[in-house]
Amino acid sequence: MKKRYLYLLLLPGLLFLTIFMIIPILLTIGTTFFTENGFSIQGYLDFFKDRYFIEILLTTLRVSLFTTIICILLGFPAAYYISKLKQRKKAIMLLLTIFPLLTSPVVRSFSWMVIIGKNGVVNKMLMGMGLIEQPLDILYTPTAIIIGLVHLFLPLIIVTLVGVMENIETDLLKAAESLGASRLAVFSKVIIPLSVPGLVIGSILVFVGSFTAYTTPALLGGKQRVISTFLYQNAITLNEWQVASIVATIMIAVTVLIISIMNGLAKKLNPKG
Amino acid sequence: MMKKILMMLSLFTLVLAACSSKEEGKEKPTKLVVSTWGFADDFFRPEVYEPFEKEHNVEIVVDSGNNADRLNKVRQANNDVDVIYLSDYYAQQGIDEGLFEKVDHSKIPNIDKIYDKAKAPNGADFGPAYTIAQFGIAYNPDEVSKPITSWKDLWSKDLKGKITIPSITSTTGPMFLDAASKVSGSEEFNEDKAFAQMKQIMPNTVKEYGQTSEFVNMFSQGEIAAGPIMEMYFGDLQEAVPNAKFISPKEGGYAVMNTVNIVKASDQKELAGEFMNYILSKEVQEKSAKAKVDSPVNTEVKLSKTEAKGLTYGDNVINSLRVLDMKFVNEESKQWIDRWNRELTH
Repeated sequence: MKKRYLYLLLLPGLLFLTIFMIIPILLTIGTTFFTENGFSIQGYLDFFKDRYFIEILLTTLRVSLFTTIICILLGFPAAYYISKLKQRKKAIMLLLTIFPLLTSPVVRSFSWMVIIGKNGVVNKMLMGMGLIEQPLDILYTPTAIIIGLVHLFLPLIIVTLVGVMENIETDLLKAAESLGASRLAVFSKVIIPLSVPGLVIGSILVFVGSFTAYTTPALLGGKQRVISTFLYQNAITLNEWQVASIVATIMIAVTVLIISIMNGLAKKLNPKG
Repeated sequence: MMKKILMMLSLFTLVLAACSSKEEGKEKPTKLVVSTWGFADDFFRPEVYEPFEKEHNVEIVVDSGNNADRLNKVRQANNDVDVIYLSDYYAQQGIDEGLFEKVDHSKIPNIDKIYDKAKAPNGADFGPAYTIAQFGIAYNPDEVSKPITSWKDLWSKDLKGKITIPSITSTTGPMFLDAASKVSGSEEFNEDKAFAQMKQIMPNTVKEYGQTSEFVNMFSQGEIAAGPIMEMYFGDLQEAVPNAKFISPKEGGYAVMNTVNIVKASDQKELAGEFMNYILSKEVQEKSAKAKVDSPVNTEVKLSKTEAKGLTYGDNVINSLRVLDMKFVNEESKQWIDRWNRELTH
């Protein structure tokens, strides 16, 4: 087959995505600009003038940001360790890493309720050790959402990071060391910069995933709403599809914005990558 | 390289599998599709549906889910529901949107045998309530300093961070809002006073509940010590916390009426009418009462004291319950939900 016909291989996937993703998304976005009186962006103006909505948006962004940072902090060392293992051990560790993804978010959230609840394992232990007198309020707060989301998305960042770190040539590290770089310098000057692509993809997955997650915030969160539960309330309970579509479009826009910011950052950190 | 692609692929399917949570299958075309909550299915199937199936030579297909989800399905007209069970709050929404067929009460003889309250909770043209549940307060006596006797007690400072309240979008949400208005001292329902009063209960509230199962969970895990709930779920609470108590608040409990209606798009309206009459019959009402599934509305059902335990039963109780005007609730609900979101949830 000549090379220029290779693009035909894209067709089936492209067709599928066009019919089941691109067209529905465009339709959703399209409807938000039309009211009975024709074209209008009033719906959006109302939203961004609304302090209540802005507050929900900020809460969601804050939760997603914290989740991403914690995932990076926990995932980076773990991924580095796994990438250095021998083939067989690595496979086992990767399997263990993705293991949490095998259980449904509902089951996982319920387990967290048992662990971080007022009479949960954590509070019982802390009280038993005499560190606290009153149980800590963790469940039904944004902290609980973050804990649940980190548990949910940590595997994604580890797996993407391992993929990138594997490709860092050992020779490079040896060269750095032989030229007098300390271990810390090797880590910060060689390993981290070369891991940036994985870090970016992983962070995008985690951030976007947290930003749009529904089950975990609905079960572990308290009175505070996040954007996805707000969307659900409008679409399902209130039957306000117009409002729900506007929220969905805003979510898409924010996601695209975040992805381009992270990409821009990545270019700065790793210009040749 | 191949290995990596394979690994990524399998990972991707794993992620997909983990993400697809609520999947609903399409039901096959059948005779009578009944849309209901789906609780106590092991009772309804043999005791209620099967005798009807035999007698009328039909197959009953159950479509289950919560009020909002099922009403939405009828709205989108993407299933062939004939008969739909809904709480009066959601039934009113369906009626106002013209989704249900008018019911000729003269063709449902058993309607004459049920409590007046239950005959036409959404107006004389629409379906009756087949059960009335009381909305009152459940609490754990070991976790509160003094017994709870009124709605007002839920506002007590002792209960800080110890209660849950129904979300405004659930059936009992508007009832609790009405109770808040009463607690504020207003004789008639007063929206502003109700919301001002609600604001004061928020420090006591850990979370709003949308489904009663959430209440049951929080209560059994000790996350909450008290909260407003329907009497019919009290059994579940007692199973987890044997000391738990249910009370009718002294300002009055509320009547939650679960209604049954015929969907306009149904092609089995006559059969649906028969089914409606059947579930109001003494026989079915008595069975579900004795199985403690639903409180009876048929006045011919007589229960002993033990049989009535945990049920909303007896003329005195039923007559004492407050009833909200669902038409009014439905007209105001958008506004209430908006205010609730803005003023209470942050």
